[in-house]
Amino acid sequence: MKTDTLKFQTRNRPFQQYAGWIIGIGLFLLPLIQMDLTTYLTLTVAGISLGMLIFLIASGLTLIFGLMDVLNLAHAAFFAFGAYAGFTVLNLLNNAGWIDTASLAQSLFYLALALGAAGLAGGGLGILTEKIVIKRVYGNHLMQLLVTVGVSFVIVELLKMIWGVNDEVVPVPMGFQDAFIIFGVFIEYFRVVAIFLGITIFAILQYILKQTKLGIIVRAGVENQEIVKATGYNISWIFTLVFAAGSALAAIGGTMMAIFNQAVDPGMGNQFLIFALIVVIIGGLGSVTGSFVGAVIVGLSFNYVAFLWPKMALGVNFMIMAIILLIRPKGLFGKD
Amino acid sequence: MDIKELTSLETSGKKTIQELTIAGIIFVFFIIPWIIPSFRVMDVLAKIMIFTIAVASFDLLLGYTGILSFAHGMFFGIGAYSIALILYHSDTPSGYHIFLAAGASIAISVVISLMISFFSLRVKAIFFAMLTLALAEFAHILGVQWSDLTGGADGISFTLPGIFNFGQTLGTLFNTQINGRLMVYYFILVIAVFLFTGMLRFIHSPLGRVLKAIRENEQRTIALGYKTFRYQTCSIVFSACIASLSGILFAMWLCYVNPDSVFHTAIMVNILLMVLIGGMGTLYGSLIGAGFFIVTENWLPGLLKSIAGLASDSVILANMADRWQLYFGILFVLVVIFFPKGVIGTFRVILDRRHQLHSS
Amino acid sequence: MPDMVETKPSLLCLENVHTHIDQHHILQGVSMDVAAGGATILLGRNGAGKSTTLKSVMGLLPVSQGRIFFNGQAIEASKPYEIARMGMGFVPEDKAVLSTLTVAENFRLSMFRENEKTHKKLAEVLDLFPALKKFWKRQAGLLSGGQRQMLAIARVLVCEHTLLLIDEPSKGLAPIVVDQLAESLIQIKDKTKVILVEQNFRLAQQVGSDCFILDDGRVAFNGPMDELAKDKIMMKKYLGI
Repeated sequence: MKTDTLKFQTRNRPFQQYAGWIIGIGLFLLPLIQMDLTTYLTLTVAGISLGMLIFLIASGLTLIFGLMDVLNLAHAAFFAFGAYAGFTVLNLLNNAGWIDTASLAQSLFYLALALGAAGLAGGGLGILTEKIVIKRVYGNHLMQLLVTVGVSFVIVELLKMIWGVNDEVVPVPMGFQDAFIIFGVFIEYFRVVAIFLGITIFAILQYILKQTKLGIIVRAGVENQEIVKATGYNISWIFTLVFAAGSALAAIGGTMMAIFNQAVDPGMGNQFLIFALIVVIIGGLGSVTGSFVGAVIVGLSFNYVAFLWPKMALGVNFMIMAIILLIRPKGLFGKD
Repeated sequence: MDIKELTSLETSGKKTIQELTIAGIIFVFFIIPWIIPSFRVMDVLAKIMIFTIAVASFDLLLGYTGILSFAHGMFFGIGAYSIALILYHSDTPSGYHIFLAAGASIAISVVISLMISFFSLRVKAIFFAMLTLALAEFAHILGVQWSDLTGGADGISFTLPGIFNFGQTLGTLFNTQINGRLMVYYFILVIAVFLFTGMLRFIHSPLGRVLKAIRENEQRTIALGYKTFRYQTCSIVFSACIASLSGILFAMWLCYVNPDSVFHTAIMVNILLMVLIGGMGTLYGSLIGAGFFIVTENWLPGLLKSIAGLASDSVILANMADRWQLYFGILFVLVVIFFPKGVIGTFRVILDRRHQLHSS
Repeated sequence: MPDMVETKPSLLCLENVHTHIDQHHILQGVSMDVAAGGATILLGRNGAGKSTTLKSVMGLLPVSQGRIFFNGQAIEASKPYEIARMGMGFVPEDKAVLSTLTVAENFRLSMFRENEKTHKKLAEVLDLFPALKKFWKRQAGLLSGGQRQMLAIARVLVCEHTLLLIDEPSKGLAPIVVDQLAESLIQIKDKTKVILVEQNFRLAQQVGSDCFILDDGRVAFNGPMDELAKDKIMMKKYLGI
């Protein structure tokens, strides 16, 4: 009943519906007071590409939570695992001497190879984790949090065991080290790739969730598992699938971030988990659209503030999170 | 609320045994520096005491109130940093600086924990966990980046005032040197006993019982007319203060702090593991959890290395021995899945079952 | 001996079924034989174990003891989706539709296999419930209570079933809507066997041919509806009417 009244309220008051968007966009034009247009545009492109990378990791987190009601704190570990998987593929290509001479098209192909390997590795690890550990703790939030903290610990230690404890330099395909200039704005190719990948994955997720039978089953499972089970669907396999998909997204995000920073280290997951958590909290747990918008907000504000007041960058994200939580305790797109 | 659980350790016959056990444990902690004059042993015992307090304070929150806050380790760090900064910046450190640090860390902890509990009222439990996790990560990053204040990743080392000064020797008694470190050890013992007793009083007070009722069934407790938010706030603030005091003890014992040693989420994970081993909602379990964890943390790596040394040419084996924390992680997962009640909790269940068998 | 048991002639057979929810012993040995054809009504007070019986049959609650046979096959250890694929449909209580999905999506979900046969069936079902066609694209949560209950039943009808379990369809509906519901249920039970949990005795009498009364997790009475309606003492004792 609650949702009914809410729906009708927004329908009858269109201004309120758009007010948030107008204020939001206005806020993002605010930095223009302090900087010239070129800098602003450069920072905006960089911010959106950072946002897309964060979206990759946040979307997996929110997907797993949305369907399975599991807050997977091992997500950061899947992210780091994916980074190492992608790093290994790039390293092999580098040993063959293909990385330094790659054209843009070849670079894209190598990136696809690395992302594919990371996605498969992350998805596989996700299936294992779900089947061995997570399925034993459905329905108990506290145990889920604790058990996923443990899993994350195990994965990170395994990373250290396999690849060593030190930072490693990630070989970046030559084609991505170039940039092009539009309106005086210096844009690296890899940023464009990141933005493109983020939007593509957002579109695919939206299509699957909204248009396909699988999406209907998934959304129905979020709302009422009993009906879905009694209709004849094996929901435990659907859970495994979603968990694997979420983990694969984290792993893909990990490889992208590894190339972005040109480095991997075993603890890298935790640094980005904080971004992902902020994004998911801002966007609302369980909403893919929410984490898309949240990721753009976090990416942009982080870049603007990092340019103006470097030390405040992370603090500003916390402030945004706190303000949004005070106005909307369930996040921008959160549901009951 | 399960009345049997509340009174299971309070029946008169058991009570004397319990009191004797506690007295015995305190006596062991008191006497060991004289029997085994080894720094390593003393170090392990001191850390056990410190973490027992930190773990128990976390258990107040998790086990007795059902709130999972990942920001708890942060309060530990706040305590540690407040004493480090005050002693580092004071020209002539003296005893009152320790009280000043305690006061300052409690003040900061109260303010931050009030803010945290204000948010916890507004969001779901799972949201709260995420929020506090993000906050804890933020504190760690702040500790590293705000280097003007915190000394960055290098951390701060400082000297303790008066009789606690490590360089000072007051003489020898029964072949044991009475020096500053020994004085700090006994200071930790006294404070730890004091704080632990305080927490025991807290959970057995009417307030503690309401908290247990909230954990069992929040809706019902609200329906009974309790303002549950106030009670939860009390427990969040109280446990944060205790955690920051244990952080002070930790810093005093090491005379050094850095972000990785007090703010890192690994500290939080360790505390979680200790709570789980001992058992949630069993204050005494914190001693078992902390004891087990710190003893194994100190001797397991050496043990593994010596095992790996038997086959010295195997790189994989050496690698596996190096990563002793891996086994802790696996243990952690296994404990959560198979023994969610921990040592003390499982023990109580077995006792209860036997009790039921005898009575029927 | 086991072979004999496996080939029970009745459609659904429960043998001494016990079910626990947490610590509570809800079903304490329910035994019933339900033959094919018509509608069988489960009656009883609140908390007697009617809904629990349906959920145990559907596999949604684990059976701690006893056996359940559906079409002669043992199903007490089967998963809900396996039981559903064997041809059992379930309509949970409280207008169980997926309120965040549209009416169309609700139907699409219930078409376990999407082919010509199910699409033809869908057209038939929509003729039975014309109101649903009108709100085809609307979110199910925005429908009225009666419409939601109709949707909850209609979505199950889209698939071919040999047995339908329907849990308290009249709960919280206006009397005039209950009458419409009764008509629909009578049409349904002519084609498919229905086991109906119902508190509304008038509706039960209109639809049902025979009934079971549950009390404290056990079967207290089994017989034709007419016989029960005459037995005032029984009615008073178990149903409070």
